[in-house]
Amino acid sequence: MKTKLAFEDVSKRYGTGDNAVKALDHVSFHVNEGEFVAIVGPSGSGKSTLLSIAGVLLSPSAGRLILDGQDITNLSAKEMTKIRLDKIGFVFQTSNLVPFLTVRDQLLLVAEIAKKRGIEAEQKADELLAHLGLAHRRNHYPEHLSGGERQRVAIARAWMNSPELILADEPTASLDSKRGRQVVEMLADEVKSRRKAAIMVTHDERVLDLCDRVLTIKDGKLIATAGMKAASQPLHSHH
Amino acid sequence: MFLALRELKFAKLRYFLIGFIMILISWLVFIISGLANGLSADNAAALLNMKADHFVIQPDSENKLNRSQIPEDKWTEIKQITAGTGATPLGQKMLSVTKAGTKNKMDVTLFAIDANQFLAPVITEGSHFNNTDKNQVVVDASLKQEGIGLGDWLQDPETNQKWKVVGFTEGHTFSHSPVVFMNLKDWDDLIRANPQLKQRYYSAIALQMTPSQADELKRDVSEIDVITKEDALQNLPGYKEEQGSLSMMIVFLFVIASFVQAVFFYVITLQKTNQFGVLKALGANTSDLARSLMGQVILLTVTAILISVGFTYGVESILPESVPFRLDVETFFLFSGLLLVVSVLGSLLSLRRIANVDAIEAIGRAE
Ligand SMILES: Nc1ncnc2c1ncn2[C@@H]1O[C@H](COP(=O)(O)OP(=O)(O)OP(=O)(O)O)[C@@H](O)[C@H]1O
Ligand SMILES: [Mg+2]
Repeated sequence: MKTKLAFEDVSKRYGTGDNAVKALDHVSFHVNEGEFVAIVGPSGSGKSTLLSIAGVLLSPSAGRLILDGQDITNLSAKEMTKIRLDKIGFVFQTSNLVPFLTVRDQLLLVAEIAKKRGIEAEQKADELLAHLGLAHRRNHYPEHLSGGERQRVAIARAWMNSPELILADEPTASLDSKRGRQVVEMLADEVKSRRKAAIMVTHDERVLDLCDRVLTIKDGKLIATAGMKAASQPLHSHH
Repeated sequence: MFLALRELKFAKLRYFLIGFIMILISWLVFIISGLANGLSADNAAALLNMKADHFVIQPDSENKLNRSQIPEDKWTEIKQITAGTGATPLGQKMLSVTKAGTKNKMDVTLFAIDANQFLAPVITEGSHFNNTDKNQVVVDASLKQEGIGLGDWLQDPETNQKWKVVGFTEGHTFSHSPVVFMNLKDWDDLIRANPQLKQRYYSAIALQMTPSQADELKRDVSEIDVITKEDALQNLPGYKEEQGSLSMMIVFLFVIASFVQAVFFYVITLQKTNQFGVLKALGANTSDLARSLMGQVILLTVTAILISVGFTYGVESILPESVPFRLDVETFFLFSGLLLVVSVLGSLLSLRRIANVDAIEAIGRAE
C-alpha cells in the first residue's frame, strides 16, 4: 500500500530558552492511501501543532516529513504555499468560509488561487456540490447556511484542488452529533472513493468508528494506535 | 479581482459609504481648486490674456507694474532699437470711476494701449476705439453687472474726464477689478491732469520677443529692467498671498484625504485578518491578496473621482456669475492622478498587515 504521509521522528518546539514549549516529541507515524486517521488527545497535547506540520503550515524543529513521496522537511515559505495549494485540503474547526462568496464561488476561489479557473473548474465545483448535496445552495452566502451545510461546503472546498491529503481540525465541533456524523461520513467516503488520505483531529468520540485508525497524543507524544473499526471499546478511558 | 469584485458586491453598503466619503473629498478638492483658479484668473486675467511675454519696467519698482514709470524718451529709444515691432507701451492706473450722472463709484484698472498693436483687446460687443479719436473706451463685460451699457459714459470724479463706452471685451480683469482700455491720447490727458508732471510716461513697455532678445534690449538701454510675464504676475498686489493660501488648502485637503482613506482601508483590512489567514492556508500568496486589495482601492477611487468630476461640473453650472470658477482639463487629470496615488499609498499600510498575517492562524482557532 502506498504511503501518502510519513512523520519520521518529528519534534516541534515553540519559543526558546526557559519559555520553550515542546509541543511534539519524537512523533513517528504514517498514513496510507485510502486511509482516514483520527487524532485524539487532551487539550494542549499538540494536535493542532501536528496538523499544522502535516499541512505544511509549520516547519518541524527536528525530524523528517514525507508527503506523497516528496521530502518536505525544509522548504521556503513560497514552496510551502505551493505544496498547500497543490497537495493539501483543509477543513477548519469552524468552516472558515469567506463571508462574501457564494457557495459555488467558495470552490471557484481555490481554482482562482491556483490560476486554473475555467469551465473545467466550474464543472468540478458543480460536481462536488451535487455530490455533497449542496446543489440547491450553490448561490447562497455562508451566513444563510446551517452549520452542517457550511462544514459540507468546507469539505467540498478542500477537495477542489484534488489534494493528496485532507486535514481537518475538529470539523464537527460546531455541529450537533447527527450533523457531525454526517459530515465525517462524507469525509470518510470521499477519502475511500478517491484513494486519498485524511487526518482528522477530534474530541468527538462518537465519530471515531468511522476512522480506520485512531492516534492518541499526550504531552506531545504518540501513546497509542488503535484500529478503530476493529476495536469495540474506543478511548473512553482517556476522559 | 475575483475576490475584490465579489466583496464589493456583497458589502455594498459599507463600500458605498466609503465611496461616498471619497466622492465628497475629491469633490471638495475639485471645487476648492476651481475656486482658486477662478480667483487667480479674476485677479490676473488681463495679464494672463495679454499677448506679451516680457515687460520693460523701471528699475527699483520691485517688479510691480503699478509702481513703474517709463518716461517718453526711454520709449523713443526702445522704439528705435526694436524698429517698432514687438514692443508697445502700456499705461496702467487704478481708478475709481462713476457712471456719468450717478454717484456710485466702481474700481477699475485703466489700460492705455496703442489700438493698432498687440495689446488691443478682442471686442465681443460694440466696436473698437482708434488712436486718434478721443474719449472712447472698451471695457470688460463684467462692468455690465454694474449697469454699464454701450454708449454710457464713465467719469473720473477727480479730473472730471469722461469716456464713452464703445465696446466690450471679455476676460480682462486685473487685481479683481475690470479693465478699461483707452488709447494713448486719453492717457496723456489723464496724467497731465497732474500739474507737476514734467514728461509723459508709461507704466511699462510690453514686449513680444524671445528671452535672448529681451536680454539684449536690457543691455542696450540704460536704466531699464526687463521682466517676464510670470514675474509681473507674481508681483501683482495680493496675487502670491492669495495663491499661497489656496494652495495650502488644497495640500491639506490631500493630506486629510489620504489619511481618511488609509484609515478606512486599514480598519477594513484589520477586520479581515482572520480571512486572510484562511486564504493563505488555502495557498494564496501575499501578492495575490495585495493585488486584490489594490484592485479594490483603485476601482473605488476611480469611480469616486469620476462621479465627483460630474458633481463639480454640476456645481460650476449653478454657481452665480459673480463667483469666479475655473477648472481646466489638465487640472482635473493632475488632481485625479494625485488622489489615486494618495489612496494607493494610504492602502500600502494595509498591505503590511496582510503580509504579516500567518496562515497558521487559520488552524485550531474559532472565528
Ligand atoms: N505559537 C505558539 N507559541 C508557543 N506555544 C504554542 C504555540 N502554539 C501552541 N503552543 C503550545 O503548544 C502546545 C500544543 O498546542 P496545540 O495547539 O497543538 O494543542 P491542541 O492539542 O491543539 O490543543 P486544543 O485541543 O486545545 O486545541 C500547547 O502547550 C500550546 O500552549
Ligand atoms: Mg487545537
